Amino acid sequence: MSLNEHDLSQLRAALQDAVVKCSERCLYQSAKWAAELLDAIPATSHDAPQLNDPGADHMPAVFSPNPDPDEARLEAQEFSKYLLAKSFFDCREFDRCAAVFLPDSILSGIIEPNQDAPGGTPNNKGNTKAGTVPLGAPSSSLPVMSQKSLFLALYAKFMSGEKRKDEDSEMIMGPQDLGTVVNKQLLPVSRVLNRWFEERTTEDGEVVGSQGWLEYLYGMVLAKEKNEEKAMDYFIRSVHVFPMNWGCWLEMTSLISRIEDLNRISRHLPQNIVSYIFHVHTSLELHQQGPGLANSLDQLLGIFPSSSFLLTCNALLSYHAKDLVAAEQLFSRLLSLHPHRLDSLDHYSNILYVMEYRPKLAFLAHLCSTIDKFRPESCIVIGNYYSLLSMHEKAVQYFRRALTLDRTCLSAWTLMGHEFVELKNTHAAIESYRRAVDVNRRDYRAWYGLGQTYEVLEMHTYSLWYYKKAAGLRPWDAKMWVAVGSCLQRMGRNQEAIKALKRALLADAYYEGGDSFDSGDILGNRGPTGHMDPEVLFQIATMYNDLGNLGEAKAYMELCVAQEEGDLVDPSGGLGGSVAVHKDSPAGSDDGNGEERERTMREGTGVTASTSRARMWLARYAMDSGDYATANRLATELTQDGFDVEEAKALVREARSRMHEEGQLPSP
Amino acid sequence: MGRFLTPAKIGLLALVELYVDELVPTSAIIPVLSFITSSLLDREPTVLAPSCSSSPQSRWTNAERRVSLVTSINDFESLLAAYPVVVGLPGRKLWDIFLEKLWDVNSLHQLHDFFDRQSHNLVMPSEQLRRLGLTEAELQGIRISRNSPFGTFIRRCQLEFTRLRFEDSVELWKDFVSYRQPTLGHRQRRSPSMGRMSFDYVLDAGEQADWDVEAVNVLASITYGDSLTSNSSSSLPVSTDDVEFLLEFQIDKMQTHGNRVPLDVRVRFQRLLQDSRVIPTLSHYLSFLDAWKSGDHPTAFDYLHRYFDYTMQSRERLYYQYALMNLAIIQADFGSHKDALETMLETVSTARENQDMPCLNFALNWLFQFGRAHPRLIRDLESDSLLGSGKESLAYLRAKAKETGMWPLWSSVLLSEAKLGFCDGESVASCVEMLVRSSQLIVTRNLKNLYGAQLTMAMALWERLGLAHLSAVESEIFLRCHIGHTSFDDELKVTARVAMHLTERGKYDQALKMVEALDENALRSWKASQYWYKYRGIIKLTRDLRHDNLDAAEQLMSQLLQSKQDDMEPDVAFVINSLHVDYLMRRGDLQAAFSKVEDMLDALDDGKRDIALYVHLMLLKAQLFDKAGRPQRGFTLAMRAASTAWRARLIPTLWQASGALASILSSLGEFDAAAQLLTAVLPRSLEYESAAMSGQLYSHLADANMGLAGKAPPNSARRTEHLTRAASAVEKAFDSYSAIEDTKKQCEMMAKKATIMKVAGDKALAADYAAAYVSLRKSAAALATC
Repeated sequence: MSLNEHDLSQLRAALQDAVVKCSERCLYQSAKWAAELLDAIPATSHDAPQLNDPGADHMPAVFSPNPDPDEARLEAQEFSKYLLAKSFFDCREFDRCAAVFLPDSILSGIIEPNQDAPGGTPNNKGNTKAGTVPLGAPSSSLPVMSQKSLFLALYAKFMSGEKRKDEDSEMIMGPQDLGTVVNKQLLPVSRVLNRWFEERTTEDGEVVGSQGWLEYLYGMVLAKEKNEEKAMDYFIRSVHVFPMNWGCWLEMTSLISRIEDLNRISRHLPQNIVSYIFHVHTSLELHQQGPGLANSLDQLLGIFPSSSFLLTCNALLSYHAKDLVAAEQLFSRLLSLHPHRLDSLDHYSNILYVMEYRPKLAFLAHLCSTIDKFRPESCIVIGNYYSLLSMHEKAVQYFRRALTLDRTCLSAWTLMGHEFVELKNTHAAIESYRRAVDVNRRDYRAWYGLGQTYEVLEMHTYSLWYYKKAAGLRPWDAKMWVAVGSCLQRMGRNQEAIKALKRALLADAYYEGGDSFDSGDILGNRGPTGHMDPEVLFQIATMYNDLGNLGEAKAYMELCVAQEEGDLVDPSGGLGGSVAVHKDSPAGSDDGNGEERERTMREGTGVTASTSRARMWLARYAMDSGDYATANRLATELTQDGFDVEEAKALVREARSRMHEEGQLPSP
Repeated sequence: MGRFLTPAKIGLLALVELYVDELVPTSAIIPVLSFITSSLLDREPTVLAPSCSSSPQSRWTNAERRVSLVTSINDFESLLAAYPVVVGLPGRKLWDIFLEKLWDVNSLHQLHDFFDRQSHNLVMPSEQLRRLGLTEAELQGIRISRNSPFGTFIRRCQLEFTRLRFEDSVELWKDFVSYRQPTLGHRQRRSPSMGRMSFDYVLDAGEQADWDVEAVNVLASITYGDSLTSNSSSSLPVSTDDVEFLLEFQIDKMQTHGNRVPLDVRVRFQRLLQDSRVIPTLSHYLSFLDAWKSGDHPTAFDYLHRYFDYTMQSRERLYYQYALMNLAIIQADFGSHKDALETMLETVSTARENQDMPCLNFALNWLFQFGRAHPRLIRDLESDSLLGSGKESLAYLRAKAKETGMWPLWSSVLLSEAKLGFCDGESVASCVEMLVRSSQLIVTRNLKNLYGAQLTMAMALWERLGLAHLSAVESEIFLRCHIGHTSFDDELKVTARVAMHLTERGKYDQALKMVEALDENALRSWKASQYWYKYRGIIKLTRDLRHDNLDAAEQLMSQLLQSKQDDMEPDVAFVINSLHVDYLMRRGDLQAAFSKVEDMLDALDDGKRDIALYVHLMLLKAQLFDKAGRPQRGFTLAMRAASTAWRARLIPTLWQASGALASILSSLGEFDAAAQLLTAVLPRSLEYESAAMSGQLYSHLADANMGLAGKAPPNSARRTEHLTRAASAVEKAFDSYSAIEDTKKQCEMMAKKATIMKVAGDKALAADYAAAYVSLRKSAAALATC
């Protein structure tokens, strides 16, 4: 997707317009995003003559003209009031800002009579309600003002509600902190917007003259009220009218919890570059990965080569693809390009945590704390560092701080849950995971953590439910399936457990073999799939053993033992250090994780507890089936392994005596 | 500013680790260990090395060392660069290994790691040993016991590090990097591979890998600020612990030695305080002390109130009495005696209320001393019998001090009792008993800082008994042995006493030299310097008076008399007043001298003053009568003085009184009795080593002998004998007066000598003496004008 110079300058103009419009409406984050993207467009030769153009106006546009003449006239009339309101907003005096355009008397006049107002026409509504409104409110209908001013006023009202909500909230995870505090301004704002849209909607559902911002605000309010269908509808309408409002796209992302939803919605979206970026970003949020996505990202990077946002996306893509080394390198480069940028460094700290790059994580924490120690990202980075040092109380303290700064900080809730698991405080852990899930239902780590916590509490039914949720969100993550399988096994549902574990083995193979996944039977292509987790294999084998299916059991046991020499099984496996195991679930909470990771780093697994046990099983099996020579060989190997040496020696002795009896071995 | 940890402490930890790893060569073990110890413990180096006595200069070295250790790494270098390494390349020094250890800590994480691994240097707790199935003997190498000074230091460091918030640990790390940075050049010489970002592993690795130079620079300036690029470090890595140590150290020094903080120490300390965000309240107290000592009373009041305002909340009202006590003391110093008294009385009642025995005892003791110094103020109080008479309160205090085990108070009460006994002219034996008891207390309880008071008392005792030599010995003992641990006040007073003694013997230059040799820094204290100036003035005044240099004397006199009586110690005031009388007598203004003496007697009359002063004044009065040519009017005075002095065993005064009596007897024509009296008195009076007194006695003896000679028939052997005796007595008197350079008296004696020779008929000698007289007058005139 290469753009010519004309397109580029158009894009630049659109982005410039977006920055000005967003900041006019005090949508700071959207303005920042657009400006960052604008800066990432490389300068073209076309720009230079334009600067020398004597006719060009060098004055930067602080306020953009409104194309709609009616709106432009209104805006010109209200200009000084608008300036007043905006400066109030900038000083975070939200109520005062709202009162500039919508004094409380007018607002209450609009809200109250709404119950007995069946959708009448705008004109007669204004007349009929005039008598019922309290004194001082001349009319219950909306005062005439430009959309920009209305947006600013309502948005200020909304923000004031948010602010009050934060102030009313109790200490994070405190006794009173039930997460039930709501934004009290949602209702009035939604009433006003509802009225506004009712007034403007024509017969065929079109909103006349709307410029997209009010739709965005209404969508936000609706989303807060959990009216997600309608919210999405308004968001889509908004981006059709004004596509450059990134905040709107972000709100849409947070409403999408499955990739299917994304695909369904993308049909209704306008086809432009922001929509394209949205698609990539949302896919990443949904933990997607793959060459298609990488390709799209590359194309975008072609247009915006130095965009920090896209570079972050790129790094996250590598992260989701379990290519931690590449992800680390990308983030490291990003850090050197934008050293003051704190956004998404929490993801970087997760990566460093998993890779155990302690000095670098410490450096990152140092950097973040120097730049701004009161940003949720900084707190998460520091918390992660403390977690890596096994100082879990301190880690919890910093995650808590992150949440105090931003209650919707998803990863902080999840990570705090992990820390509580470490501290053996299961109730707190469950609560924080639950909060994480409430904030964002797509967080498989929180689901997984919940399952794990319930497993610790030996409530396997609950556990299974949550594991299944996690596995649903990440169908190609072996760990989820292993968890499901183990859980089923504990519940005694061996058949299902075997199925889940086989799925886990497949998932492993999926990541290793790229995405050209062959959905054939696991036993069918077990050779070329290469490395498999001996733990899982052993588990499957024991279950077959329990089910009495000794043949299958033996096959899996042998497979398990074979994992010791991974390079023999699959010499071209490419399982070098670059493929690291994903580990963003609770750190080291199950000791197997650490071991497992270390083992996968090597070519073969070497002798592990499970392979030894598998060998022992095989030896006994050989013994029972009278194959004493094999039993002797396996048991002798066992004596060298160091696990259960005594038992192995006893087996050797028994095997030898049996062989002696049968004369297979000359007497010693 | 951290609470405890500083880069210097990290350095100390590294040093301990070197020692534990047995990398310190045998020769260096003692210096290294004593370096660490002296940095860890609040001990003065003199305690560790008792051979060198603590001179005033060395008192502050501990503080200075602490400051310099905190501010730069050079202290470690000067310690370690001298020793070779145990293993490794020849030519390497211990300093190199130490640096290697410090530079191994090359990232924030390594710093965490460094603190984490410090516990390996400690002996494992027995539980852990049991768990590991080991016995203590199996563990190799040096292990530091957990409760040893080093062990507690290591554990404290670990604890403090764990307590740090993240940003504080970052702060510590940055401080550490800039503390270590000066040694970069040294490290680069040893291992040239070290790059410019070698202080941080991540930056260094990043520079070598994928980051470009510009990005690394930006990152470094974000994370480490400007501290690495600019040479002048804006802030010093100091911890509250260090500041508090320095504060306590300074306050302790000021309180025990009574002198002010040397200027350079103060300047450096101010620099440290500048960088600390938290200023400990104790620093207000330090400022208070400093202002007080410098005589800046308004500032002192201000700081005292500030200190107590800040501490009130944390300590409740429990320490209110101490605030009052300090206030009372400073008010007394300020000369606001009435307020001081009231405040102290309030202190007493508050202390009683709060049942704070030490404070109460101290306050009562102070009140007692105050009452001795200012009897007029205390009189109203005593009539109300609020405190009872002095004796009773002393007895009460003694009992209380014994009860509560406040040995210093007990000893000082005993000394007070002895002093009271002296002043009231009571039995010398019982006073000596008190002295001995106090001395025993001091020795058994090792109350070194009370030696000053004890020996001062002993000196006074010997002086009263007329044994100047023993008194001199006591002062010598004090100056040589006990100066190190007593307050500067004592030193000053003893020195002044010795100087006065020298003056009595005419060694003015020596006396002045002695006074001027006192520690200059200590004299920055206002009170001490006032005292010092007065004594220098007194010595010079005495010399001028004796040289008959009356104009210069007048100038000095007027200066000395300017200060109000209340500002001075009573004894100084008395000395100055008697010198004034002397001056007036030499001026010939007997009327004024007489009224001055009368005034002084009046002033003494009102209270219980030292009886010696009383006797002294009576003698002065008698002397005045003598001068005025009416010696008989002084007879009763002289008799009373003699009997009082005898009763109170004021031996030198007794001799003076006898001299006065003898001159009266001579004037009555009772030459024989006078001569007998003087012959009896003279040998013992010589023991007092006061040249003026012996000169006067000898001249009286000469007068008496002349009288006897006059009574004897002319040209008889008796007459010649008496004449010879008179001549030799005059000769002695002349010698004595020469010793103190009293020119007027010298001339008088010379004239007498010439007269005697003339009477004896030795014309040639008489002429010689007359010529000598003329030359004496000339030299005297020369002395008087210089």
